[in-house]
Amino acid sequence: MNISEIKKEFPIFNNKVHNNDLVYLDSANSSQKPQVVVDRIYDFYTKEFSNVGRSVHYLAVAATNLYENTRSSVQKYLNAKNKNEIVFTKGATEAMNLVASTFGQKYLKEGDEVLITELEHHSNYVPWHYLRKSKGIKIVFAEIDQNGEVTLDEINKKITSKTKIIGVTHLSNVTGAILPIKEITQLAHSKKIPVLVDGCQGAPHLKLDMQDLDCDFYAISCHKMYGPTGLGVLYAKKKWLEDLPPYQGGGGMINEVKKEGITYGELPNKYEAGTMATAQVIAFDQSIKFLEKIGIENIIKHEKELIDYGQEILRKNNSVKLIGNPKNRGAVLSFTIEGIHPHDIATILDEDGVAIRAGHHCCQILHDKLGLPATARASFGIYNNKNDIDQLNSSINKCKKIFNLK
Amino acid sequence: MNLKELYQEIILDHGKNPHNLKKINNYNKDAKGHNPLCGDKVHLYLKLDDKKKIEDISFEGSGCAISMASASIMTDILKNKNESEVKELIRDFFEMIKEKPDLSTKILKEDEKTKLMCLSGVKQYPMRVKCATLSWHTLLSAIDNKQEEVNTEN
Repeated sequence: MNISEIKKEFPIFNNKVHNNDLVYLDSANSSQKPQVVVDRIYDFYTKEFSNVGRSVHYLAVAATNLYENTRSSVQKYLNAKNKNEIVFTKGATEAMNLVASTFGQKYLKEGDEVLITELEHHSNYVPWHYLRKSKGIKIVFAEIDQNGEVTLDEINKKITSKTKIIGVTHLSNVTGAILPIKEITQLAHSKKIPVLVDGCQGAPHLKLDMQDLDCDFYAISCHKMYGPTGLGVLYAKKKWLEDLPPYQGGGGMINEVKKEGITYGELPNKYEAGTMATAQVIAFDQSIKFLEKIGIENIIKHEKELIDYGQEILRKNNSVKLIGNPKNRGAVLSFTIEGIHPHDIATILDEDGVAIRAGHHCCQILHDKLGLPATARASFGIYNNKNDIDQLNSSINKCKKIFNLK
Repeated sequence: MNLKELYQEIILDHGKNPHNLKKINNYNKDAKGHNPLCGDKVHLYLKLDDKKKIEDISFEGSGCAISMASASIMTDILKNKNESEVKELIRDFFEMIKEKPDLSTKILKEDEKTKLMCLSGVKQYPMRVKCATLSWHTLLSAIDNKQEEVNTEN
């Protein structure tokens, strides 16, 4: 598949936005969907729909097989050791809540420390905050350096004898910093501390190998991987899924239910209570196939070119200040313009069909640290090209003109 | 949609150099407002006299051009208005920002009205309406002595 032709696979780009071609630079928020994924949802509902894992009729058996096929595809894509290490959730947020809640319930007590970083999205902070409230645990923040990165050294400094789990992002959705997960995991494991990785931004843009990273938990947002909304994946090492208590109770997750007591189902059913996002899971198989067809190496190469070009162009624009300067930057360029608030930038860019995000991007801790109430963010996907960056730059110049900046 | 209508010179001027951006002495009412989606923040200070007339009004805060201009223009035109006039104006302003083409108030002088109506273009940008209304919601909260911070998402 030729990467320059990839945009054609995404029907959204057939539409105009305010009479302009869409320049979609908000993939860190959510990616657009290729036709194969959209079609798969339609086909499943029109020709193959049934609930999974319960009934024995023809449709139920077929749907269950499709559902489990996706689990196998995800296992393969992540290079997880075991199929049962893949748990479907309603999103990465739920995946991280699942870990915080179940790990917290079993292993955290007053005074214990959870080490996270200042780069974390609210979904890898707020769930721990609940435990701070309910159990009196302490949340420790590894700090960013002047480049907007969190170094292995900084993590090492913040580990104490009370650190019980480490939660880190793979790729910051604001500074674009790619964190050294493998090294962090090695360090943590040498001190017998498990590691939860927020893989929301990592999963669509980086090569994933769970056995190589060796992290204990990895949370994925499927809608950021050219897949459907309402779906996430929690990869967790089998030993944890066997050891930790269930998260939600209900149908599908039980073994035997008596008035006197309940036993829980086998993995991964234990963590998939209730009717799951069946159509989304089945369609997500197409997202994985789509990514595999392009090849992650090609995606990384393409996005690296975009990031390098984007940095080059925006650095030349004298009013633009890029946020962070990480050595390894993922597909995110956050910026500010002196004299124009990010929300005004976003509104003016939108008029040209350029979709960016403005705000704190669910990272208020980081924005407080940077001393900024908000930033503008352009983030890339496989459908972007250098023309999109040129359009971004020319629309930024239009902002400057409207605000009478030089 | 028309960007020129949204970002008129008067909005840009007030946004860049907001009037009454300070904390007044001897205020007897105040309230805070926050737009969690944008990060816009405002702290409004009011000094009402015995007859509930606004003797002085000011604000502190940060935000986009629309929210700063709205707070700046609001504090400019509300001086010497009494509480019932202010409440009527708030209602009128909310209607203009959301649907009506202009203000129906007879309280404002023609030049004050023209200034405030510059914000009317915001209604074409639904995501930005909250920027324009934040300081006005905060004003209402100050007048009504509400204790909790105004939050545009609640």
